[in-house]
Amino acid sequence: MAKKNSNDEFRPQGTVAILVIFVITLVVLWGSIYLILLGRGGTV
Amino acid sequence: MSAQEKMHVDRYERNWMVASAILLVLFATAVSIAAFGMGIQVPAPEQRVDPRTVASDPNSPWSNPGIREVVAGEKYDVYILAKTWQYLPAEISIPAGASVTFYVTSMDVQHGFKIQDTNVNFQVVPGQVSKLTVKFTKAGTYNFICTEYCGAAHAAMAGKIVVSP
Amino acid sequence: MSTQAYEITPKDKNFIGWHLAVAIIALAIGSLFGPLQAFEHAGWDLYKYLNPLIKSYYQGLTLHGVLNALVWTTFFITGFLTFTVIYGFKRPLKYPTLNLIGFLLMVVGLVLAAIPILLNEATVLFTFYPPMKANWAFYVGLTLVVVGSWVEGWGFFYTYAAWRKENPGVRTPFIAFGSIITMLLWQIATIGIAVDMLTMLIPWSLGLLPGVDPQLSRTYFWFTGHPLVYFWLLPAYISWYAMLPKQVGGKMFSDSLARFAFWLFLILSVPLGFHHQYVDPGVPPAWKFIHAMLTFSVFFPSMLTAFTVVASLEYGARQNGGKGMFGWMRALPWSNPSVAAQLLAGLLFFFGGIGGLANASYNVNLVLHNTAFVPGHFHLTVGTGVTLTFIGISYWLIPYLTGKKLWQPKWAVAQAWLWFVGMIIFSNSMHILGLLGAPRRTPLNLAPYIPAEWNSRLFQVGIGGAILFVSGAIYLTVVAATFWSKQPATEKVEVPVAEALQDPALGPAWLDRWTPWVVATLALIVLAYGPMLFDLIKNIALTSPGFRVW
Repeated sequence: MAKKNSNDEFRPQGTVAILVIFVITLVVLWGSIYLILLGRGGTV
Repeated sequence: MSAQEKMHVDRYERNWMVASAILLVLFATAVSIAAFGMGIQVPAPEQRVDPRTVASDPNSPWSNPGIREVVAGEKYDVYILAKTWQYLPAEISIPAGASVTFYVTSMDVQHGFKIQDTNVNFQVVPGQVSKLTVKFTKAGTYNFICTEYCGAAHAAMAGKIVVSP
Repeated sequence: MSTQAYEITPKDKNFIGWHLAVAIIALAIGSLFGPLQAFEHAGWDLYKYLNPLIKSYYQGLTLHGVLNALVWTTFFITGFLTFTVIYGFKRPLKYPTLNLIGFLLMVVGLVLAAIPILLNEATVLFTFYPPMKANWAFYVGLTLVVVGSWVEGWGFFYTYAAWRKENPGVRTPFIAFGSIITMLLWQIATIGIAVDMLTMLIPWSLGLLPGVDPQLSRTYFWFTGHPLVYFWLLPAYISWYAMLPKQVGGKMFSDSLARFAFWLFLILSVPLGFHHQYVDPGVPPAWKFIHAMLTFSVFFPSMLTAFTVVASLEYGARQNGGKGMFGWMRALPWSNPSVAAQLLAGLLFFFGGIGGLANASYNVNLVLHNTAFVPGHFHLTVGTGVTLTFIGISYWLIPYLTGKKLWQPKWAVAQAWLWFVGMIIFSNSMHILGLLGAPRRTPLNLAPYIPAEWNSRLFQVGIGGAILFVSGAIYLTVVAATFWSKQPATEKVEVPVAEALQDPALGPAWLDRWTPWVVATLALIVLAYGPMLFDLIKNIALTSPGFRVW
């Protein structure tokens, strides 16, 4: 049964913490390039 | 021992999967708004040409490359011929505030065409015509450079656009 | 269970070892030229001292790209996968001669391609975009390398079939499962480049065709070009998912999701090649947009991989007494060079993912296309995520194959850190230069358009290159000293294969069925590529004769 697995005792909270930092970095860096794109204007 | 058909997914990992999917949808939305709402688009097929005759055929605009005025002070077309290792013409003058459409093709190998500090940046492929438009709102000099390796003097392949106030 | 020891025969060890030998020699020569490119950016031109042996920056760059991105990867991968197939299935190859033929084809192809490159007759970079025209031997050689890798892949498939016959109903062991998917992906992905070579480039280089269609050739090239990235990555993922957790004293966090991610990579990594052609003139924006959306979707299994791998590491660290939100990372065995190299590779790979997502974001590519941002990005992915992981694997695999003790593990750890630091400096400045508008694959100290504000960044590119050079030199020293050492291993080298937290046999059976996934893969390719390829082929114009422009 899926409920009785040993990893139910292990909560990957450190993993979540690292990945949250990753996502924030991703949004900031991607967003800054996106803003460069918007600042340079239309192409059609 | 029969195999279950459902996949066991940890609660944290399930939340992560949902968050990842939402994040990707947000990125896709941002990109779509820029493309379809703000007119920041990638090049579309313009026309096909024969690279062997595109520079010599008198009916080809690239036999006489350069600037064409469409509406004075407002709208211009610029035909640029890329060849190893130069652009013809290598210098263009434009009044500030004008909207300029570039038509670039190559008579030999592949080149690149990137106007610095603008969104004009495309591949120049022999047999094809690359086209994008840019509005120069600020006066100044804008370099355009070759961004694709095109042989020995590739690094020297560049030109400039002088935008006068 | 799957971790019970199995001994590979000396003959097979030798065979795998030959793959690694060719790979590492290619890495050594190719990496010699990497720093030379970086130095050129910083204004230190060493190429003039290499004349007449190496004629130009571009010849050096061709060597760097072909040897590092194509040869090092392909030979290491075929060797490593030979190991994971044999060890995973716990049986020898079904037809060892077939695999030997494949390997020999690869070697012959490599030699054939290397001759014109070294003679400056194929200075076309590793993308060899026509109508720049190299000597025919370059194209035939590269084709033979690919065909040889196909043949090795067929050897794996036969071995899998034989194992399946002997083990009906048993779940495919994960490392072997991942290896078979990697090779299957490779067979499908390389159809593009094979058609390009056989129908256009080879006949054209032999004078049998008057010209080529450059736009069609680019489309074929990138059909293969992007999944090529996953061909590099998946073997590293096999190690991260299923071997690294064992090395840190843990288990695989989720066997089922790991398998699911591999299937998604198979399905999604081919039908999105237009994201390398966003700014090509000959492809309609609608198709580019569809491929952009598919590219976003292949980011999903990457996110999944990030979670599963980090969670497996955290599990291991906590088993070893690691505590705290972030403090558990200190409980990882950083003094093990194989672990340190792979952890640092994975860390930088996060940033490679960010840059990759930016490149792949449709019109955002207008800012980035063919700028220094692109090599900045892929030196974090293939140049670190993959290469430093392979280096890490070699730190246990070479002792395993040779029976020798790894020479000076402390030096090996230092090598990994130097790679990490050098790459951060190099790659960070390359990304920023790209955003400022610096083109890629250009000797920038010769360019007439360099503003003074780029200079400090260009200098940092050179510094990064110098540190990477030192790291590469240490790696070669460690490998050579281990290989020629007279010191046998004091204890038997254990092959790190992690158990899963959950018994794989309890995972869903549909994760071990092949037909539906392969059919879905092919169907999606036909949908995403069929109409555009049909249109380009229908309107083919062989109007570009060849040019030798270097």
